[in-house]
Amino acid sequence: MERFKPSQDTPLWAGPNVLLVLCVLLFATLGVRLWYLQVVKADVYRDKAQENRIRQRVLYAPRGVIRDAYGTLVAENVPAYAVAVVREECPDIEATLDQIASWTGEDRQWLQKSFEQGKRRTKSFEEQVVVSNIPFDTVARIEAERHHWPGVSVVVRPKRFYPTGALLAHVLGYVARANDKELAQDPELLLGDNVGKLGVELALERRLRGHKGLEEFEVDAVGRELDSRRLRAPVPGEDLRLALQLPLQRAGVRAMAGKAGAVVVLDADTGHVLALVSSPSYDPNDFVTGISHQRWGALVEDPLHPMQNRPIQSAYPPGSVFKLVMAGAGLESGAITASTTVYCNGKYAIGNRVYRCWRRGGHGTVDLRKSLRESCDVYYYALGERLGADVISDFARRCGLGEATGVDLPHERRGLVPSPTWKRERLGRKWVGGDTINMSIGQGYVVTTPMQIARLVAALVNGGRLLRPLLLASDTPEEQGRLPMSDATRRMIADAMVAVVREDGGTARMLARPGIRVGAKTGTAQVVKLMDRYEKKDTEDIPYKYRDHAWLAAFAEKDGRHYAVVAFVEHGGHGGSEAGPVVGAMLDALFGLGEAP
Amino acid sequence: MMDRRLFSHVPWGLLVALVLLFGIGVANLYSASSLRLEDGLGVESYFRKQLVWGALSAGVFVVGVAIHYRHLRALAWPAYGVGVLLLLGVRFLGKTVYGAQRWLDLGPLHLQPTELVKVAVIVVVAKILSRMEGYLGWRELAKVVAAALVPAALIYKQPDLGSALNILLIVGGMIVFKGLRPAVFKTLAVGIPALAPLGWFFLKEYQKQRILVFLDPTADPRGAGYHIIQSQIAIGSGGFWGKGFLRGTQSQLRFLPEKHTDFVFAVLGEEWGFVGSILVLFLFCCFLYQIYLVTVEAKDEFGRCLASGVFFYFFWQVLINMGMVLGIMPVVGIPLPFLSYGGSSLLVNFCMVALVVNVAMRRFMFKR
Repeated sequence: MERFKPSQDTPLWAGPNVLLVLCVLLFATLGVRLWYLQVVKADVYRDKAQENRIRQRVLYAPRGVIRDAYGTLVAENVPAYAVAVVREECPDIEATLDQIASWTGEDRQWLQKSFEQGKRRTKSFEEQVVVSNIPFDTVARIEAERHHWPGVSVVVRPKRFYPTGALLAHVLGYVARANDKELAQDPELLLGDNVGKLGVELALERRLRGHKGLEEFEVDAVGRELDSRRLRAPVPGEDLRLALQLPLQRAGVRAMAGKAGAVVVLDADTGHVLALVSSPSYDPNDFVTGISHQRWGALVEDPLHPMQNRPIQSAYPPGSVFKLVMAGAGLESGAITASTTVYCNGKYAIGNRVYRCWRRGGHGTVDLRKSLRESCDVYYYALGERLGADVISDFARRCGLGEATGVDLPHERRGLVPSPTWKRERLGRKWVGGDTINMSIGQGYVVTTPMQIARLVAALVNGGRLLRPLLLASDTPEEQGRLPMSDATRRMIADAMVAVVREDGGTARMLARPGIRVGAKTGTAQVVKLMDRYEKKDTEDIPYKYRDHAWLAAFAEKDGRHYAVVAFVEHGGHGGSEAGPVVGAMLDALFGLGEAP
Repeated sequence: MMDRRLFSHVPWGLLVALVLLFGIGVANLYSASSLRLEDGLGVESYFRKQLVWGALSAGVFVVGVAIHYRHLRALAWPAYGVGVLLLLGVRFLGKTVYGAQRWLDLGPLHLQPTELVKVAVIVVVAKILSRMEGYLGWRELAKVVAAALVPAALIYKQPDLGSALNILLIVGGMIVFKGLRPAVFKTLAVGIPALAPLGWFFLKEYQKQRILVFLDPTADPRGAGYHIIQSQIAIGSGGFWGKGFLRGTQSQLRFLPEKHTDFVFAVLGEEWGFVGSILVLFLFCCFLYQIYLVTVEAKDEFGRCLASGVFFYFFWQVLINMGMVLGIMPVVGIPLPFLSYGGSSLLVNFCMVALVVNVAMRRFMFKR
C-alpha cells in the first residue's frame, strides 16, 4: 500500500504529489458545485425548468408617421391583426394549421409553405406569425374559439396606412412585408416585419423604423404570464414632415388627370420639393397588405406604367427647354452676345441636309431674346454649329444635366448628355454634324428628367446655386455646385423667359399672372424623327405613341421668393398648349389665385 | 515485440475507467441526439458516428500500445514539425467553421490538426524535460516554454484561444510536475497572477464578451449568457436522482445549440441527477488517479514526463469543460473527454491513454 501515500522526498508543489493534490481538488470543487446545483438548489431549478419558463417578447417600436408641410398626416399607423402560433405549445401543428386555414380562408398549402419558411426564423417558444392582416370579424371568431387551440394567439401589429392614397404614392412609396433577402441582410428585422420598399419609406427607412425593445417574462405551465421585465425599451421611429404641400400636390394631380407625365415644384431658394406629381399613379395601400396577383398584373401591364416615378425615373429629350442651356453656353463662351442676330427663313442647311425651324415661314431677324421668346430653332442650329458638340456637352453637364440630383428617393435616373466621345465608345459610331444640330434644340441623344430641369430653372433665379432637391421640411439647403453662368447671363436668360410669358409672340402667354413675375420656356420633344406624314395634322389626329412630348419649365417670383415649376406631359403634343395649363394650375395653387384648392 | 511479460503490467484500472467513460458517453450521446429530432436530424446520427470513431480509435489504441514508447523519442521532433506544418496548412488552406479555421479538408476526412499537435507538443516537452536533471532554472524553463509557444501562437491565430491556452496549461502542468527551483517557482507564483490582467488586451471582442457574461450571465440572456443559464437550469433541474435516461426533456435544453459537444454534460446531469454526475466525476478522478500511479511507477524519466503530460491533457479538459457547464468557468470551446461528440478528439484521447498504458506496461522491463 506504499504507493498510495504521498512520496516523502518531493515537496507538494513538484513531482507526482502535484497530480494527487490536483485530483482531489478537482473532485472537491466540481463535486461541491454539483451538490449545490443539484441538491441545494434543485427545487429552484426544477421550478424554473418545469413550471416557470422564461420567454422573451419583442416590443415593437412604432414607425414614424409622415406629415405634409402643413401637418396633415400622409402616412400613419393603424392597428392590424395577425394570427401567430407558439410551436412548442401546439400539440398538433398540422391540425392547428388546418384550423387557421378554415378561420382565415387562406389556402392550406400556402399556409404550410409560409409556416415552414417562418419556422427557421423563430424559436419554437416564440410567437410565429402565420397569417397577417386579418379582418376584425375573423379576429373575433378566433378569440372565441382560441382556448381549444393551445399555442394560437392573435397579435396586434401596427399597419401602415396612407390616407391620401394615390396622391402621394410616388413620394411616399410604401411598406410591405420584408422578404427573405431583406431579412437576411438586416439582423434587426424579424419575420412579419414591414419595411420600406419604395419612395421615402425606403430612402429614409432607418430614420422611420426606430429600434425594437425586448421584454422578458415568465409563464407557468398553463401559459399564464407571471412576471415581466423590460430588458430594452423600444425606441420609436422618427416622425417626419415633408416640405411638400398637399394642396399644391392635389392641384398638380388634378391638372394631370388623364395625362401621363410629371410635375415638379421646387422652392428655388432652398431646394425644397413642394410638389412632386407622377401621373398616372397607384394606391400604395394595396401593397401594405400584400397586393393580389390580379392587381399587380394590371399595374405592371398598364401601358402607362403607373409604378414609374416619372419626375426622377423617366428621362426624355428636353426639346426646346435645352435652349436655356444653349443660350448660357453661347453667352459664356463669347460665341454670341445679346445683340448677335441670325436670319431665320425657316430652314438651315448643313452640307446637303436641310433642317427646318418649327415655324415654316421663319422668324426673320432673330436676337437672343427673340430666339428664346419664340423658340426659334434656326438660331440655335447656328449657335450649335458655332459652339461645337464638346463645348455644349461640357456646359450642359456643368448645368447638372446627365447626373442624378440626389433627391432622397430610390432608383433615380441620371439622364444623358451625349458627346462625340460617348457616341464613339457606346455606339461605336462617329459623331456627325447632324448630331450637334439635334442636340442644339434638345433632340437626339440628350435626355433629362423633369427634376433635373426644375433644379436648373431654380438655379437661374436663385443666384446660380444648383441645390439638391429636399423632401423634408427640416432639411437644410445643400449646394451641389454652381451654374456656370455669370449674373448678367442668368439675368439675360431669365428676362427672356419672362418675355416668353409677357410679350407678343411668346410661347407661354397663358402663364401671365398679375403681380407675379413668371418666366417660362416651352419644349416639344419629338418622339419620331421627321414624321412628315403627321406634320400638318392636328395633335388629336396623330396616334398617341407618336405624339410629341410637351415640356414647360417655369419660374415664378413674388415677394422676393422664387419657385421653379416644371411640367412634362408624355405624348402631349405641343409644350405650350399641353403643359402650359398644368403649370398655370400650379401657379394658381401656389399663390392662392383662382378657385381655392 | 509483444512480450508476454508485458501483460502482467497492464494498468487494468485505467482501461476499465476508459471503457466505462466511453460507454457512458455513447449512451449519453444517444439521448442527446434523440432530443434533436424536431430539427430533422437523425436520432442516432451522432451516437452511431461516435461508435464508428470508437472502433477506429480502439484499433489505433492497440497499435499505440504495441510499439515501445521509446521510439517516440526519435519521432518527437519530426512529429512536432509535421504538426506545425499542418497548422500552417490550415491557416492557408483550411475550412472555416463557426468563423474559425481549424479544419483541414482531406476528402471525406476532416482533420483537426490542433488535437494532433497537442500530442506532438506533449511528446516533445516530455523529451526535453527528461533530459534535464533536478529542478528547472530560468534557462531550462525558457527552452520548454519556447517549444510550447510556437504551436500555441499558431493556434491562437486561427483563432482558437481555448486550445492555445490548453496547450500552455498542459505544458505548465508538466513543468510543475518536473519541478522548478524554489526561487523560480516563487517568482512565477507571484508574477503570473500579477501579469494576467494584461492578457485582456490579447482577447478578441467575443472572448471578452464571454468573460463578462461569465461574470454576469444576465447581462446578455438571449445571447452569450443563454448557454450558461440554460445549462445550469438543465443540471439543477435534474435534482438528486435525475429525470431518467431519455427523459431529460427540459424544454430550454432543446435550444442549447451545442448540447452534443461542449455542453453534453448538461444532458447527463439532467437525466442522471447528482448521483450520475458525481459518479462520472468520480470516474474521471479515478481515471486521473490511474495516470498518476503510472507517473509514480514509470521506469524512466521520459515515460514519467510523458504520463504527466497525458494527466494534464485530461485534467484541464475535465476541469474547464465541467466548470463551464456548471457555471464556474467562462465559456471556452473545450470538449469533455469521451463524452462529447467528436471524431478527432476521441481518436486523440485514445492515443493519449495508449501512451500511458504503453509506459505502464514497460515499467520493469529493463530494471530486472
